[in-house]
Amino acid sequence: MEEELIGIKNAAISFIFEADSAEELEEIKLQFLGRSGKLTLTMKEMGKLPKEKRPQIGVLANEVKTTIEEALANASTRFSAHKKAVIQKKIDVTNPGIKPSLGHLHLITQAIAEITTIFEHIGFKRVRYPEIEWDHYAFTALNFPENHPARDDWETFFIDQKADAKKGQVVLTPHTSSGQIREMERMAELSKKSGEPVNIRMLNIAKTYRRQSDVSHTAMFHQFETLVVGKDISIADLKGVLDYFVKSYFGENRKSRIRPYHFQFTEPSFETDVSCGVCDGKGCKLCKEGWLELGGAGMVHPNVLRNCGLDPKVYTGFASGWGVERVLMMKEGITIDDLRLLYSNKVEFLEQF
Amino acid sequence: MNIKLLDSWVKDYLKTKASAKTIAEKLSLTSVSIERVEPFGKDFVYDIEITTNRPDLASAVSIAREAAAVLPEFGIPATFQNPKLTKPTPLKNPVPLTIKNDKTLVHRVCAVVMDVVVGKSPELIKTRLETAGIRSLNNVIDVTNYVMRTIGHPMHVFDYDRIKDHIILIRESKKGEQIVTLDKKDYELPGGDIVAEDTDGDIIDLLGIMGLENSVVTSETKRIIFFIDNVDPLRIRKTSMTLGIRTEAAQLNEKGIDPTLSMDALLLGIQLLQDHANGTVVSNIIDIYPNKPKEKNITVPERLIQSVMGVPISLKKSAEILKNLGFNVTINKETLSVIIPTSRTHDMDIPEDVVEEIARIYGYHNIPSILPQLPTASPYHKNQDQFYFENRVKEAMMYWGFTETYTYSFVSEDLYEGPLTDAITLANPLTEDMVYMRRTLIPSILQVLKENKAHDTLSLFEIANVYEKNGTNLPIETRMIAGIMRKPKASFYEMKGVVEQLLHDVGISDIRFLRRTEGLGADIKIEKENVGYIEVLDEHIVNFELNFEIILQYATLKKIYKPIAKFPPIIEDISLILPEETTTADVIEEIGKQSNLIAGVTLLDTYENTRTFHILYQHSERNLTGEEVGKIREHLIKTLKSKFKAEVK
Repeated sequence: MEEELIGIKNAAISFIFEADSAEELEEIKLQFLGRSGKLTLTMKEMGKLPKEKRPQIGVLANEVKTTIEEALANASTRFSAHKKAVIQKKIDVTNPGIKPSLGHLHLITQAIAEITTIFEHIGFKRVRYPEIEWDHYAFTALNFPENHPARDDWETFFIDQKADAKKGQVVLTPHTSSGQIREMERMAELSKKSGEPVNIRMLNIAKTYRRQSDVSHTAMFHQFETLVVGKDISIADLKGVLDYFVKSYFGENRKSRIRPYHFQFTEPSFETDVSCGVCDGKGCKLCKEGWLELGGAGMVHPNVLRNCGLDPKVYTGFASGWGVERVLMMKEGITIDDLRLLYSNKVEFLEQF
Repeated sequence: MNIKLLDSWVKDYLKTKASAKTIAEKLSLTSVSIERVEPFGKDFVYDIEITTNRPDLASAVSIAREAAAVLPEFGIPATFQNPKLTKPTPLKNPVPLTIKNDKTLVHRVCAVVMDVVVGKSPELIKTRLETAGIRSLNNVIDVTNYVMRTIGHPMHVFDYDRIKDHIILIRESKKGEQIVTLDKKDYELPGGDIVAEDTDGDIIDLLGIMGLENSVVTSETKRIIFFIDNVDPLRIRKTSMTLGIRTEAAQLNEKGIDPTLSMDALLLGIQLLQDHANGTVVSNIIDIYPNKPKEKNITVPERLIQSVMGVPISLKKSAEILKNLGFNVTINKETLSVIIPTSRTHDMDIPEDVVEEIARIYGYHNIPSILPQLPTASPYHKNQDQFYFENRVKEAMMYWGFTETYTYSFVSEDLYEGPLTDAITLANPLTEDMVYMRRTLIPSILQVLKENKAHDTLSLFEIANVYEKNGTNLPIETRMIAGIMRKPKASFYEMKGVVEQLLHDVGISDIRFLRRTEGLGADIKIEKENVGYIEVLDEHIVNFELNFEIILQYATLKKIYKPIAKFPPIIEDISLILPEETTTADVIEEIGKQSNLIAGVTLLDTYENTRTFHILYQHSERNLTGEEVGKIREHLIKTLKSKFKAEVK
C-alpha cells in the first residue's frame, strides 16, 4: 500500500505540473481527491490493513493528500495570474478612469503658498495682523502726514466707528505695511525683556482693501510684505532678497533692478522691476523698455523705526510690499484680462487651476 | 501722473550728445522713471512718470537739470543751460490791475496785463504740445500750457476786459456756490475751495484747477491777464477730487509747486506772447509773495551714508553729486552740511533724504546684491503653526472634492446676517454690494452657488475672517472655515463625515454633534466648546461653518503609540429597537461604559426603528472566552432596557 500511495502522489504531481488550465486542475482534483478519486478509494482500503500498520499508513496517506492539495493550490495561482492577463486584453485603456474626487485651490492660495515657501527658505517668518486697523498703524506710524492723499475718502475704506483719541479712525488696511508697525512694536518689546538685539525677518501676507474697482483693480486684494530690521541692514541686503525672490519665483534667467521712487515710510524708496519674460528685456508692447514693475520697496524711514520704539542710530532695515495678484499675473501663462475675475468665483474659472 | 515730453524740448536746456534712449535709461535708473521712448519723426517722445514727491520734475527744464547731473556719472558729458529770462522795464502809463490775495490760500501771485492778437500757434509750439498730449487751441492758451511744461508751474489767463473794474479778489468759497467752468459744465462748490471773485461778488476763477466760462479768453479777446497763482496743495486736492476735475494743473498744484518758479513762468510767458501773439506788456508786473519758502540746512553723517548704501563712498564724492543736483554743500570732518534748494524743500527734511540723493546718482545698480545673514533663528514649532494647519485643511478639502472660493469680506444688506445695528459698516462704500463687514461666510458662498446655476453638483469651501463689533476697540476678527455641498439628495451625514475627517486629520477626536434647536442640522462641539454647525438648507444643499481659531487651539500633531493587540477581539452585532428620540451617540456612550473590555462601539446599520451596533470585546493580555462576553452582554442589555427602553431584536 505504501508504494501505491507514493505512486498516486507522483502521478498527481506530474498531472498537475503539466496541466495548463484551471479546468484541467479541477478535473485532476476530482480524479484524485474526489469521492471516487484514486486517493479516496485507496484510503478506504486502509481498513483492510492489519491494525499495527494502520497509523503509519494513515500518516503517509495524509501527507500525500496535503502535498496534492498544496500542489493544486500553487498551480491554481499560476492560472489565476494568467487569467488576469487574459481579462486585460478586453480593456479599452483609453476609456476614462474612475477618479477619486479632486477639488481646486484658489489661485491666490497657490501663489501665497509658493511665496511663503520661497521666503521661509531664507529665514523669513510669516505673520498675521488685523485687517481692520487703526489709522495709527495704517498711516500715522508709517510717517504719513495728516493730510496725505492716501488717507482720502476715495482711496481708503473707513469704518463707521468713533475715532480713538490716540489711534485715530478705523480703516480697512490699504496695505500690508501696517504689519510692519505691529511687528516692530512686538519685537522691540521682546527685545526689551530679553536684552537680545532686535532681528526681524517678517513676511506678512494679507487681504488689503482700496476704494477702486476696474479691470486691473479689485476693492479687495492681497499683498505680501517683507520687513528686515537689524544692525547694518543696507540697500545691498534689499537687493539680495529681491534678486533671490525674482529668480525663485519667475525663473533663473530673470533679472531684477531697483530705481528711485517715493513712499512715505521708506527713505530711500525704490520701485522694483523684473526683466520682461516675453522679450527677455529687449523691450516689447507688454513691458516698459524691457522691464515690468513688481512693486515698492525701501529702507525703513527713521521716523517709522522711532515710532515703533527702535533707535534709528542702532537699527536699520528694509521693507517691500508687493501685490500677490500682480506677481501672479506676471507669471508665465497667467494673463487674466480682467482682475475682477479672480473674485467672481465662476466655477469655469476656479476649476482651471 | 505721467507726462510726455519731446527730446528736443529737453535739449533746449541740456547740452549733450547722449541719445534719447540713453537719457531715458540713465534717468530711469537714477532719477525719474521714463517708461517709454517713442520715435516721432527725427525726434523722440519721453513718457515720464512723476511721483508725488517730485512734482518739480514735471518740466523740460527740470528734466534737463537732472540729466545733466546724472549723465556724467555714466561717463557721458552733459551740461545744463538755464532759460534766459529778462524782466520788462516799468511802464509810464500802466493799465490798472488790482489783486487782493488771501495768504492762507495762495502763497504767491505773479500777474501782468498784455495786449495780444489771438490766433494760431507756430508749428514748434503746436507739435510740442500735441506730442505732450495737450490740445493746441490758440496762441494765448497754448503759451500757458507751453510754459507749464517748460518751467513746471501751472497758470491761467483771463480776458482783462471781462473782469469788472479789473479787480480780482481771492477768497475761500462757501458751500453751495455755483460755477460754470470754461468747458461749460456746471458745478456746485463743496466749500473751502480757492476762488477769485470780481467786485460784483461773481466767482470768476477756480484757482489752480480750471478757469471759468465768464472770464476766459475767447477769439474776441484783445487784452489778457497772465496770471500765475501758487496755491495751497491740500485745498486743491480736496476740491479737484470732490468735483472730479482732474486737470493737469490740478494734479501738479495738489503736489505743491516751488513758488520761486512763479516769476520765471511769468517772464517766459511774456517772452512767448511777445514772439507768437504780438504781445505787449501794458501793466506793471504784480508780484504778491507772502509765503516765501524757508531755507533748510541738513547735516549728514558720513557713517549714515555708508550704512544705508552698504558700500564706502567719500564725502568728496557725495558732495560732488549733491552740487550737480543744485544743492549747496560744505564738507566737514565727518559730516556734510547741505542747503536744500527751494524746489526740493517740500520733500527733504532728514539726513536720509540726502543719502537717497547721493545713493541714486551713485547708482543703485552699482550697489552689490547680498542676501542678509540669518539671525539666530527663534525655534519653530510646527504644532503651533497656524499656516501649516490652514494649508493642511485646505488641501484635505481639495482632495475631498471641494473647490476653494475667495469672496469679498464686505457684503450687501441682503447678504448680511443679523441686525444691521450691530454691523461693522463702511463709512464710504464703493458700491451697495460692499457695505457691511460679514459675520459669517455662508451667505457669500451661497451667493457663489446661485451664480453658478449650471452646476447642480458643486462643493465649495473658503477660509476667511468674519468680523464683530467690539465697543470702542478694534473689531474682533475670527478666522472661519465654511463649506457647502450641492447635489441631488445632499445628505447631512455626508457633510458630517467631512467635518469629522477634517477634525480627525488635525488630531481632534473629542467631537460631539447636537441637534440644532432651529432648523435641520447639528451644533458641533470640541470637548465642551462650541465650534460651529452643520445646516441642511434644503434637499440639495448642506453647509457647515466652523471657527477655525478654536480648531487651532485643539489641533495637534502629537501621536501616541499603543501596542498592537496580540489577542483577537470578539465581535458581536446587537440589533436594538429604540425610541426615535434616543440618540445613537447616547447609546454608544452607554454601551462603552459597561465594561473596560469593550474596545469599540459603532453604529453598523439602521433600518426603520432598529439600530444595529457593532461591539468589539478585547483583552490585551489574553483571549476572551464566550462566557466572559456573555456576561457583559447580559449586563449591557439589561442597562439599555432600563435606560432607553431598548428591546433586543
